Amino acid sequence: MRITKPQLSLSRDNRKKMVPYLLIAPVIIYYTIFWLFPVLNAIVESFRDVDGIWTLGNYIYIFKDPVFYTALFDTAFLVIFSVTIEFVLAFGLALLINTKFKGSSIFLFLAMIPMALPAVAVGAMWSSGLATRGWLNSFLMHAGIIDDASKILFLAGGEMSRLWLIIIIDAWTVIPFVMIILLAGLQGIGADVREAGYIFGGTKFQVLRKITIPMLKPTITTAMILRIISAIQIWLIIVMLFGFNRLPTLLEQIVLNYDELGAASFERIGLALSVIVAIIVSATAILYLKVSGSFEKKKEQEVE
Amino acid sequence: MATLELVDLAKRFSKKVWGVRKMDLDVNEKEFIVLLGPSGCGKTTTMRMVAGLEEVTRGTIHLDGKDITDIPPRDRGISMVFQNYAIWPHMTVFDNIAFSLKLKKMPKAEIRQRVQETADMVKIGELLKRLPGQLSGGQQQRVALARALAVKPKLFLMDEPLSNLDAKLRVVMRTELKAIHQQTEATSIFVTHDQSEAMSMADRIVIMKDGEIIQIGTPDDVYFRSANMFVAGFIGTPPTNFFNIRCSVDGEEISLKHSNFKLVLPLKDFSELDAYNGKELVVGVRPEDIAVDSSDKALFTNKVLVVEPQGSHQVVALKLNDAIVKTIVSADQSVKPGDSIGFNFNLKRLHFFNMETENRIKTASEI
Ligand SMILES: Nc1ncnc2c1ncn2[C@@H]1O[C@H](COP(=O)(O)OP(=O)(O)OP(=O)(O)O)[C@@H](O)[C@H]1O
Ligand SMILES: [Mg+2]
Repeated sequence: MRITKPQLSLSRDNRKKMVPYLLIAPVIIYYTIFWLFPVLNAIVESFRDVDGIWTLGNYIYIFKDPVFYTALFDTAFLVIFSVTIEFVLAFGLALLINTKFKGSSIFLFLAMIPMALPAVAVGAMWSSGLATRGWLNSFLMHAGIIDDASKILFLAGGEMSRLWLIIIIDAWTVIPFVMIILLAGLQGIGADVREAGYIFGGTKFQVLRKITIPMLKPTITTAMILRIISAIQIWLIIVMLFGFNRLPTLLEQIVLNYDELGAASFERIGLALSVIVAIIVSATAILYLKVSGSFEKKKEQEVE
Repeated sequence: MATLELVDLAKRFSKKVWGVRKMDLDVNEKEFIVLLGPSGCGKTTTMRMVAGLEEVTRGTIHLDGKDITDIPPRDRGISMVFQNYAIWPHMTVFDNIAFSLKLKKMPKAEIRQRVQETADMVKIGELLKRLPGQLSGGQQQRVALARALAVKPKLFLMDEPLSNLDAKLRVVMRTELKAIHQQTEATSIFVTHDQSEAMSMADRIVIMKDGEIIQIGTPDDVYFRSANMFVAGFIGTPPTNFFNIRCSVDGEEISLKHSNFKLVLPLKDFSELDAYNGKELVVGVRPEDIAVDSSDKALFTNKVLVVEPQGSHQVVALKLNDAIVKTIVSADQSVKPGDSIGFNFNLKRLHFFNMETENRIKTASEI
């Protein structure tokens, strides 16, 4: 029997069109199994109680709980201040390193060290450093800045000082990361557009504002979104320094409810909280993209 | 309109690397100067020092008599066209051209007028609302030009502004640039390593090599009175042919012996060669000064190696001993590889060079 080719296979054209789908199929399958199912499951389960009955109880509990609002405030505070501070400092450092001064590559290497440490190590390092008998106090004592009686109680301050401590530590860990992203962006811009700026009458600051930053905007947006998302999710360092429920944040509350409290009913509170956080994260990211995008439109109108 | 003086200007990048070793140059008002030289000779470095983008290692730069060596680029009154344009991709054409005017706080209406004027001058008046990404390479080039012209600079620097354009557009832009220069009368320095560009545009050409000036002169100067063998070999396509000859003075005549020919010249026209009696020197002959001569007066006869038709003329290459000699022959002569043909030199256009120093030996016969 003879089988002709067209009967056996799809046309050449159709086969070509299928290639991309075939290539991404494994990824889609992977995401469906390991990501989509668990997420959908979590969403569904957050609307049921321990007996499997449909309810809004988990959400009502959360919205009635004052700790949730504290966590919301603390998280927002952390996000706003840590991201702003990190961004400003990281951008300054990136600009500095980009001038390629003598020893800039060594400086770059040193600056990257915090990035290489896992979060747990960072937590351990700072909690041992900030303890009353920690290395920070003993350093200050040896340096003669304080004496035995005036040891600083870093971890015993009120909520604000605790927040600022976390912001400082987070900045220390994250600045190198932001700096590297911005530096890569800066190096992609090329010196000549900036030099043209200087020749056509710009001061250093004007060139930075009118040329460097606008051209760096895609990189800045990427870095900011990544940072905002991960700042919303800060918890491990807080727990390691202060323990649970001392400085509530959204993710810390999820971990507390889901993992620590033990009871099945709290597990579901944790799931409901996760859904809320996921919505907050997406909303923030979209809002940021919208805001940074709309600036562009305004500018174009100005020209008309 | 301004004068520029470079005095003993030098730039050293590191212990071993010199960008510019020594530059002394006076540029006159309204002059169009072309810096010409092989890659790496320091043309860009010179421009960057004049613009203030590169600190000088030694020497001074005076613009209109004022020392600008240490003042920042924005206060120099200089504008520049970069080789790869360096126009700002996030700004419209209008904003690119208006950038410097806005920083100068010029009134809005005046900015609008100036931008339109300059854009029209370089024929991009219709494109003001576009972003650079929506323009062709040639149009981007014009934006860079307009941006530089809008400032009405004292001094106009152009670093290989045409090198990214295709050959045809390059010739068009060349003419336009020259017309713009005549209109604006801005003192200009133009960098290129395309010598036909240099010859056609320059009031004076500055020929550089290894960070130093080799010759400054009009296009005629550098072509007909090349200061040394480097210039003679660098300027002209195909370049000057060089022949090693032995010189001997015999009464009223001077004879120049080459292994393939012997030139006999009247001593009164070439008395400067008297000093080389019995010594060797180099004679340079440009391709167009070697003519086909089928009579028995031919200086030498040789086989043709290659013929390269160029349309208006043809380049004929010969192999004389081990050296390739190129001549330009009119298009209507039929020449084929392998033909044995007689040639003669145009004796009014001989260039003599000292064999050791490679410098030109001036003769009274020079035009
Ligand atoms: N930033 C720099 N650091 C170190 N050396 C440099 C630097 N810029 C240029 N040089 C060196 O200085 C010399 C002159 O360079 P320059 O760019 O002025 O040459 P150019 O004449 O413009 O060449 P081209 O025709 O290729 O553009 C070269 O040897 C180059 O390697
Ligand atoms: Mg150059």
